[in-house]
Amino acid sequence: MNPMPVQVTMPRLSDTMEAGTIVRWNVKEGDTVASGDVIADVETDKATMEMPVFDDGVISQIMVEAGKQVPVGTLIAIICIEGDDAASATAPIAAPIAAPIAAQVAHAVAVPPKSAPHIAVAPNAASAAPESPAVASQENRQRISPLARRIADELGISVAAMRGSGPGGRVVKQDVLAEAERIKSGASPRGDLVHVASAARSERGAVVAIGAGGSEVMLSGMRQAIARRLVESKSTIPHYQVSMRFNMDPLLELRTMLNVQLAPQGVKLSVNDFIVRACALSMAAHPFFNASWGGDRIIMHGDVNIGVAISLPQERGGGLVVAVLREAQRKGLREISAETKALAEKARVRGLSVEDMAGATFTISNLGMFGVDNFTAIINPPNSAILACGAAVEQPVVRNHQLVVGHEMQATLSLDHRVIDGAMASEYLQSVKHNIENPATLLV
Amino acid sequence: MTTATMREIEFRDAVREAMSEEMRRDKRVYLLGEEVAQYNGAYKVSKGMLDEFGPRRVIDTPISECGFAGMAIGSAMMGLRPIVEFMSWSFSLVAADPILNNAPKMLYMSGGQFGCPIVFRGNNGAGGQLGSTHSWAVEGLFSNVPGMKMVIPSNPYDAKGLLKTAIRDDDPVFFLESERLLSMKGEVPETEYLIPFGQARTARAGTDCTIVSFGRPVNLCLEAAESLEKEGISCEILDMRTIRPLDAGAIVRSVKRTGACVVVDQSWSFGSPGSEVAALVHRECFDDLDNYVHRVHTADVPAPYAYDLEQEYLPNARRICEAVRSCLYKA
Repeated sequence: MNPMPVQVTMPRLSDTMEAGTIVRWNVKEGDTVASGDVIADVETDKATMEMPVFDDGVISQIMVEAGKQVPVGTLIAIICIEGDDAASATAPIAAPIAAPIAAQVAHAVAVPPKSAPHIAVAPNAASAAPESPAVASQENRQRISPLARRIADELGISVAAMRGSGPGGRVVKQDVLAEAERIKSGASPRGDLVHVASAARSERGAVVAIGAGGSEVMLSGMRQAIARRLVESKSTIPHYQVSMRFNMDPLLELRTMLNVQLAPQGVKLSVNDFIVRACALSMAAHPFFNASWGGDRIIMHGDVNIGVAISLPQERGGGLVVAVLREAQRKGLREISAETKALAEKARVRGLSVEDMAGATFTISNLGMFGVDNFTAIINPPNSAILACGAAVEQPVVRNHQLVVGHEMQATLSLDHRVIDGAMASEYLQSVKHNIENPATLLV
Repeated sequence: MTTATMREIEFRDAVREAMSEEMRRDKRVYLLGEEVAQYNGAYKVSKGMLDEFGPRRVIDTPISECGFAGMAIGSAMMGLRPIVEFMSWSFSLVAADPILNNAPKMLYMSGGQFGCPIVFRGNNGAGGQLGSTHSWAVEGLFSNVPGMKMVIPSNPYDAKGLLKTAIRDDDPVFFLESERLLSMKGEVPETEYLIPFGQARTARAGTDCTIVSFGRPVNLCLEAAESLEKEGISCEILDMRTIRPLDAGAIVRSVKRTGACVVVDQSWSFGSPGSEVAALVHRECFDDLDNYVHRVHTADVPAPYAYDLEQEYLPNARRICEAVRSCLYKA
């Protein structure tokens, strides 16, 4: 059997990903893996994702330890296909490969020397066998001295991507102090640290002195991505806003009825599900709201992929992600509701995959559940519009020339004026308003 | 105190002054042991004391540690304040039952009816090529027992002040001297002074690493700190003076400042004052430590007789320097 070493490189898990952090290795050297096994959790600029392998074999070498951030394309592990000699796998390709590889997991198959002896993987596995899984995970976790951790906390320095100078890469006091000094002086990163924060960091203005009791919070990958993308959006897209009030009484009444009748089936529709459906249906007559600015053209998207902004709990690092409901124009309320719930649950518990977050063509942000009356949102590039929804508020309203008590919701569109003009925005909102206020249109 | 009242005396003179002063002050105090009277002490610690206090208070005993230690304990229970000299703490092992099983437990077991105000003193640690059975450092072995106090002075001044406190103490005190220190000279005031138990002395102030030690090894720590200073490493040396009671506060305060701790203890490492200090520091200073507590002990083997082996077996300045560098990631 021919030996077949397979190089596993840091995958590009999102379009904007430049580097990834191995949050955790689920395998250790000597472990047998099968195609589809999740061998590591990788933090990108947006989320922490599971990283599967596409080969059956034995992990012969782990090149990047947990906690370390490396550029996309960096060799992070080597898998030996059965019958492979681990030594021959590592010898010719020991140097990290920096070439960027766009594939999910790139396989560069090295050609082994013909004379390579056939050595079964067993000895390698056997030598690792006495180690318990618990020991292995201990070895993969980041090492940091208590004092270094305390100083890092006090100075607000992120140690996640640091490899320390102590034994086994332990981060010690002098490493944290050196990093603090480096940040203070604005010097370039240390050679073995990869920072993707440069773009976001460059956005910060004058150096701000920290007052007594103050501290600094270093940016997570997600916070860096949010900063970078929203600065890009707000500084390159000519934003303007258009607001409209919707009479929510018919919809709330319908929703109450449906939820009572659907309760035995475990269905509970949210107000937001109706708004998603209403926006999606209105796209057919207003296709520019489902489009992207293309510099010298406007790109019209076919399917309506609606992004729903989901805030993450603090224990998952906070921040927000946009989950995408694909082909929303084809989906009914029940499907929209179920998918949104599933995505929100996944985002808050395990984290979304790249597919879950990619390809939005229009975005809805809803702060109604927090009792917000109205707000404006920043466009999620490359969208042309985003709808910001407040709460359906019970208030005095005029209906049929009568002052009565009713529910109204204020919705505000933020728009890219390069794609959409004010009159178009008004027409689209009229259409959404019609759908919301005549909710039977949302059912059939 | 002013320098005018200071004079330089040997460690053995400091010990004798402490005993003599307390015997003049308190008629209940007496000394007994092998060769303490007519021979003026095997190490001349009790020189002249027979002449001053007479054979009823400076008593030569047979070579029978178990017998004379037990007898002294009985006299302490009856109101006297004996000082028992062991020629070497290595020989105290044959008196283990009275000194460990009776003295420290007497107050407890008698429901407070009988105390045991007694001082056991003698040479502890390797004397220099005395072989495995005569080179005991008993800190680890004896400090394990509740009810006793343990004192380990590192210099003449401390020896005198601590021994006077020991003689006045109402509990059994194990007072550990060192054959290697008896000729050490140091400044001791002529005026009376006492040093309370449980108060460590900062033998050297520093910023990078706390070295916790007691007894003779403190002097090795000073030597090591001197050479580490040339490498830019500033050591703070705490001389604990007493192991029971232990000045935990001094250790914690210092380690919280330096973030690093090395313990130097001439007893074996397993179940020793050194391991106790390490546990204390790990518990109280966990978030302040940049590295685990490093420990320098006597090697975990019986004492070798050969000179070179014995030197390597004991804590020494080179091994202390290595531990400090390692603790500071500068190895």
